[in-house]
Amino acid sequence: MTSLSTTAAPISEQASCAATGLAALAPRALQLTNIVKSFGDYVALDDVSFDLRRGEVHALLGENGAGKSTLMNVVAGLYTSDSGTVALNGSPVIIDNPSVAHRLGIGMVHQHYRLVDTFTALENIQLENGHGNYRRSMAKLRDRTTEIAERIGFGIDLDRPVGEMSISEQQRVEILKILTADARIIILDEPTAVLTDAEADRLFTAMAGLAAEGNSVVFVTHKLREALTYADRITVMRAGKMVRTVAPNDIDTTQLTSMIVGETIVERRYPSSNIGDPKIVLKGVSQAGGGDDAPISDVNFTVREGEIYGIAGVGGNGQSRLAALLTGLMRHDQGRILLAGHGALDGETPLALRELGFACIHSDRAHYGLANDLTIMENFSVSAVLAGDFGSPFKIDKRRMRASTQEAVKAFDVRGVRALHQKAGLLSGGNAQKLVLAREFSRAPSIVIAHSPCRGLDVRAAAAVHEHLHDARDRGGTVILISEDLDEILLMSDRIGVMSRGAIVAEFDAPADRNAIGKAMTGHA
Amino acid sequence: MPDSAVARSHRSLLSRINLEIREHAPVPQQVALLAAGLLLGLLVSALILVSVGVSVSALLNEFVISIVTSSRSMGNVLDRAAPLVIVGLSAAIAFKTRFWNIGIEGQVIFGAIGATLVANADIGPPELRLFTMGAAAMLAGMIWIALPLYLRLRLRINEIISTLLMNYIALNFLLHLLYGPWKDPVTAFPNSKIYEHVERLGSTGWLNISTSVAIAMVFVVIVAWIFAASRFGFLMKFVYANPAMARAIGVNVAVLTILAVLASGALSGLAGFAISAGIDNRMTQSFFVGYGFSGILIGFLARNNPIAVVFFAFLISALMVAGQSLQIFYQIPFSIVQLIQATIVICVAASEFLIRHRIRFVR
Repeated sequence: MTSLSTTAAPISEQASCAATGLAALAPRALQLTNIVKSFGDYVALDDVSFDLRRGEVHALLGENGAGKSTLMNVVAGLYTSDSGTVALNGSPVIIDNPSVAHRLGIGMVHQHYRLVDTFTALENIQLENGHGNYRRSMAKLRDRTTEIAERIGFGIDLDRPVGEMSISEQQRVEILKILTADARIIILDEPTAVLTDAEADRLFTAMAGLAAEGNSVVFVTHKLREALTYADRITVMRAGKMVRTVAPNDIDTTQLTSMIVGETIVERRYPSSNIGDPKIVLKGVSQAGGGDDAPISDVNFTVREGEIYGIAGVGGNGQSRLAALLTGLMRHDQGRILLAGHGALDGETPLALRELGFACIHSDRAHYGLANDLTIMENFSVSAVLAGDFGSPFKIDKRRMRASTQEAVKAFDVRGVRALHQKAGLLSGGNAQKLVLAREFSRAPSIVIAHSPCRGLDVRAAAAVHEHLHDARDRGGTVILISEDLDEILLMSDRIGVMSRGAIVAEFDAPADRNAIGKAMTGHA
Repeated sequence: MPDSAVARSHRSLLSRINLEIREHAPVPQQVALLAAGLLLGLLVSALILVSVGVSVSALLNEFVISIVTSSRSMGNVLDRAAPLVIVGLSAAIAFKTRFWNIGIEGQVIFGAIGATLVANADIGPPELRLFTMGAAAMLAGMIWIALPLYLRLRLRINEIISTLLMNYIALNFLLHLLYGPWKDPVTAFPNSKIYEHVERLGSTGWLNISTSVAIAMVFVVIVAWIFAASRFGFLMKFVYANPAMARAIGVNVAVLTILAVLASGALSGLAGFAISAGIDNRMTQSFFVGYGFSGILIGFLARNNPIAVVFFAFLISALMVAGQSLQIFYQIPFSIVQLIQATIVICVAASEFLIRHRIRFVR
């Protein structure tokens, strides 16, 4: 994947390169041998062995469902392995529940944070680590937490309620929580999925510092560049098995990708060959009320038929609000949104937009994309049912529904489907997103609004999503791709708009210069 | 997570017991668990009764033999079950759109008031009188739920509170009518005057099944059909499972909610009609007692499944009838009767928990 090549090497890289040689020699902090874990018939971990050295930052890579999180949950005591041994500093241990892990100095930061929103940072830390007298333990924890935070360079206000904090601050609270519990082994499950590049860089700098003190850090990730840049060693898992552990210097992205997916996936830029007339035009669009995202003001851009228009920008600059306007979840206060062949859009409902040929891929899949408790068949069929397909209002034709779901699941390569009446929530991220795509593209949309469609997806699933977006464009469709992942924007877009502080501040024709876009994203004041 | 069977694994304090969420329990297993829960509840209740001095043989006679064999008490149970089925459906249909209708009691009261209004004023031809009364009851139930519905949709006022408070208003309005303008002119008791024969829900003339039971069954079929097979029911699942997603995909959540909630109010009103015209033949000042909140309980235990509503309504009805005979024939205090009823309900509800979770003993 050309777009994933490392460009700017952060400071921590030199340090980690030097450490690579040492890491292999350093004593083993944690040694997992022949771990097997199955859920019913499904073998999630198949004879996995893994070792973690003292003083290293170790990346655990793999596709969704490869078993990375399961393995780490075994270490953290959330799952008990069916067989296999765990040794800590050379002596065998049985970690059969989280409090044992806690006592042994193993701390894990989960993908979804376990914090009480209304409590302050310190109260959250106290909740996990407090002992005895509340006041005294608070005072002691405050000193200790402050000391640790300063040592690793976490600036954080301990007395602010966690609910008011940004995602990256909340993550710091989680990390402080395990550090105040004297964790020597720190496990981070997809720590950067919700962070910006700069925040991620700061996080890994701090983690490198922790490793230098003799602790061990493991982080689970999908992002190759991150593993190559920040890890001392990289372990790749695939389909519940261990593939290999390598040093980042000995490998490049292409090799790493093929280790992860078992084949070589290279996504290439593939510009549109047939750009048509303007399809959707935004003129001076503003919206300020409601919602958490930054307001947008005076947004102007035009997207043509057969074109992918990428909107780049650091998250929280109004992208969510723009997506909400374009998908009918919000109505704009000012300005005009013109649709070729229809006229001005003015508060059309999501249903009306769908009838006009819109397809929407929301960034928050769990919230807007799928109903996790309902079946795959229901989630796939709902838009068609709304459009009046599948029988009469009084009698839904489940046979036809089943047949067409079956077909779509196959056509969009949705895997992990054991039965169509299986809950959609049981699909892994990539397959859930493929199901969303199958539904949204089932009616050959002429306009696709996609907001961070590949967030949290592995390389293979992301490539599939990209392929479908390209297909939609090549059929003459108009695609608006809003993404915080600059690699994705550069790979996919025919034209790029940069969003900052609620407005489109610059436009580039593809192929665009990465640095120029980066400058526009952050430089605009 | 790739795991299928385990959505969440959690260690309890008793560290050898693992609690896991089941993905799906097969129907025979569900029925078996439910039956086990019911049996356990009955056993505990029997122990309670024996401890307050009821002999074991009397227990067997009263519960097992007479309820099942005596057609009179069976008829009694069925007659009470009919309105319970209807309120259970009412709760289920509202809960399906996440509208927590705690005001079933008030709607039941208003339904009976609507029916009695028609009966008192002799509205419409006598042949259609029952139909008119039923329609008036449904309309009155809808009217009584309309205000909380409006407040919730317009001003986001929590319906749990507003529907609950509407119960008290309805009750006081009922008392006002029964002690005032609608007081029985013959006996001067606080009842409405007794319904004429054409205004009573009698027997269907088939197997001694009363008309109210038939009405309840018709609505069970209708609601079950709507939930399982209609477009409306299909979309309602999305409103329940994920309202934000439903809205984003184009489901008109507001309209669906309005329709479902009005249907809930109408059914509650109909239950009021079924009680007053099917059991008491008049509107009394306490006819609604035990129906409103039983409806919520039934809807909850049945997890909004119309067929399960029938089962739980029958259970609650049997408990009501048995409780009465316990009080009358064995001088068991009312508090013990309530204790028994609660025990059985808790045991059945606990089996629900086991249907959704699996307990595993480790090592």
